[in-house]
Amino acid sequence: MVIVLIILFAATLVYFFLSERVYSFIWLLSIQGVLLFGIAFNNLINIQPIELILILLETLIVKAIVVPWFLNRLHRKNQLKKIHESTVPVFYSLIIISAILIGCFLMSYTIDNEIIQLRFFTVALATVIGGMYFIIIHKNIFSHLVGFLIIENGTFLLSLAVGGEMPFLVSLAVLLDVLLAVLVIGVFLNKVSDTFDTISASKLNQLKD
Amino acid sequence: MILPFFGIALILSLLIFLFPKRIIMATGSVLFVSLHIVLTVYSFQNLGEWDTAFYRFDSLAILLNALLSILLVPTIFHANLYFQRHVKDPKKESYFTATMIILATAISSVYFAENIVIMWVSIEATTLCVTFLIFHNRYETPLEAAWKYLFLSSVGIAIAFLGILILATQANSPEGVNLSISFLTSVAAKMDPFFLKTAFVLILTGYSAKLNVFPLFAATIDAKTVAPSPVNAIISTALVNAGFVAIFRIYTVINQTSLNSWAQNVLLVTGLISLSLATIQLFRIKRYKRMFAFSSMEHIALILIALSVGKPGYYAALLHLIFHTLIKGGLFFQFGQVRAFFHSGWIKDTGAYFRLNGTGALAFMLGIICITAIPPSGLFITEFLIFKALFSTGYTIIAIAVLIMLTIIMYIIFSKTMHLLFAKIPEIFKPEAVIVNRFEPISQFVLFGLVIYLGFNPPALLVDLINETIHLLN
Repeated sequence: MVIVLIILFAATLVYFFLSERVYSFIWLLSIQGVLLFGIAFNNLINIQPIELILILLETLIVKAIVVPWFLNRLHRKNQLKKIHESTVPVFYSLIIISAILIGCFLMSYTIDNEIIQLRFFTVALATVIGGMYFIIIHKNIFSHLVGFLIIENGTFLLSLAVGGEMPFLVSLAVLLDVLLAVLVIGVFLNKVSDTFDTISASKLNQLKD
Repeated sequence: MILPFFGIALILSLLIFLFPKRIIMATGSVLFVSLHIVLTVYSFQNLGEWDTAFYRFDSLAILLNALLSILLVPTIFHANLYFQRHVKDPKKESYFTATMIILATAISSVYFAENIVIMWVSIEATTLCVTFLIFHNRYETPLEAAWKYLFLSSVGIAIAFLGILILATQANSPEGVNLSISFLTSVAAKMDPFFLKTAFVLILTGYSAKLNVFPLFAATIDAKTVAPSPVNAIISTALVNAGFVAIFRIYTVINQTSLNSWAQNVLLVTGLISLSLATIQLFRIKRYKRMFAFSSMEHIALILIALSVGKPGYYAALLHLIFHTLIKGGLFFQFGQVRAFFHSGWIKDTGAYFRLNGTGALAFMLGIICITAIPPSGLFITEFLIFKALFSTGYTIIAIAVLIMLTIIMYIIFSKTMHLLFAKIPEIFKPEAVIVNRFEPISQFVLFGLVIYLGFNPPALLVDLINETIHLLN
């Protein structure tokens, strides 16, 4: 079961590079949130109520509902373009993300460590690198925020891959921190759009000497 | 003690935020700074003790928290001058003061954190505070800087978290994952070298945005270019020190293993690249704050190079960090006055500062002498010790390259300073618009005087704390 979810998660990652529509990005993030819940739920050894609540909060509530809703609101409020083209043609991006996935797969299997769950680790690493690549190939800051959220999802998957569980308070602090960061980034995106009448990163160059 | 400190700080900032009155702001700020000083004294009296399961009063944390306490005192005064000159809106002032209190609290939390996840959470909190402080006046350029800082720092912090997760694979105790520094240090020798190396590189990369070094330095440089002077006095010093603490803790862990020489090489490469980039970028600067930001990059790079030498460089590195904090804080306070004179931060818009404001110019000149490590600056002694360590350990070519770069940096900083002090009065200068406060340079003379005094005669207390910190590495 869990392997199916992981493959689906990898498919969403590839789909990010196939799509140029903002709504697709938001939907994909939401789907990734649901998939992460499934993976995390399957990964629980003993279902403790507190752990379950935290995973529910982090994945289904925050990643699958709150963040996509917030992005959607940002998109509508700022009347952003429906299509965000990347600077690299889709075909090349597809080759690159496939290469990232294969590279991570090969690298993961050179790791000889019993603690790491390699089936998670491969996709987690590819998601983090894919998120960074997504930021690089897009020129507008809304897509940069989407890239940041892809990295965050990869980090969450990596935390499952390494197996160990953090104390509850620490996990809660991490969750609140990430949520706050996403909301603040969103608020600032709003302000940038209002002030500069654009969300193109190339227009933000007044600071250069 | 530390949890009540956080609680009171939070209440004070909330009160200031909710009731934007100058009397509440002033009382709240003074109370907070007093409380911060009490925390420093208390932590010193309880050196080595734990405070809750996540915090510990160790020598490095006490040293850096004391520096923050010292800087917070003049920050109240200079923030008040900044409000009079540039804000004049109690609501924005209260917003600024409340965020400053949370920022200082989060920085202290980074210093004292014994658990690397708590440290990570506190560093993320500093990112959010700095973003709001840069943008509090709601102009266009600060917005651009705030956005870049927030985004790049957040990406950096996500990268650092990856490093922490990888470290977590090696930190299994019978009670589950234990990410306290003391536990990590105790099991470091048993860790898988590949994981430890990966974690170190990721954490160094992630926190480089805070430490103001390669690779994520760009966000910090832009933030410092537009941040108000009192904010700059904290983010160029205490916040950079927070980044240093975060790297230092991981270095402490890796230093217990056979990978210590590898980690030193990573620090050396990071330091050299950062120093080279700072030197190149300084040729292009057109604004004083940007010059100071690259100067901070230069000094932190030197500190990393000193750490990379190993034992002979540790003392110099820590003393250099302390002196840099005091000098850079003073320079930013003085720059607040320069800006009040010329109403611009651009180098081309300034000139004849010696003629217009002799005392301020003297303070600026003294600050520049101190920051460029010219005797009697304390930095002269630390840089001398760093070069001595480099030559004595066989890093001759690197030492010569660093010397050349420092000479170039010194030339650029002096040429820009000479323009400010002795060039013609700029055409746009309006004497009637100048707001002078004759007490303004006092804090700078005190801070620079302290650096000169400590360079020649470091008290036993300071030396003991530094040696205690070095002991953590061994």
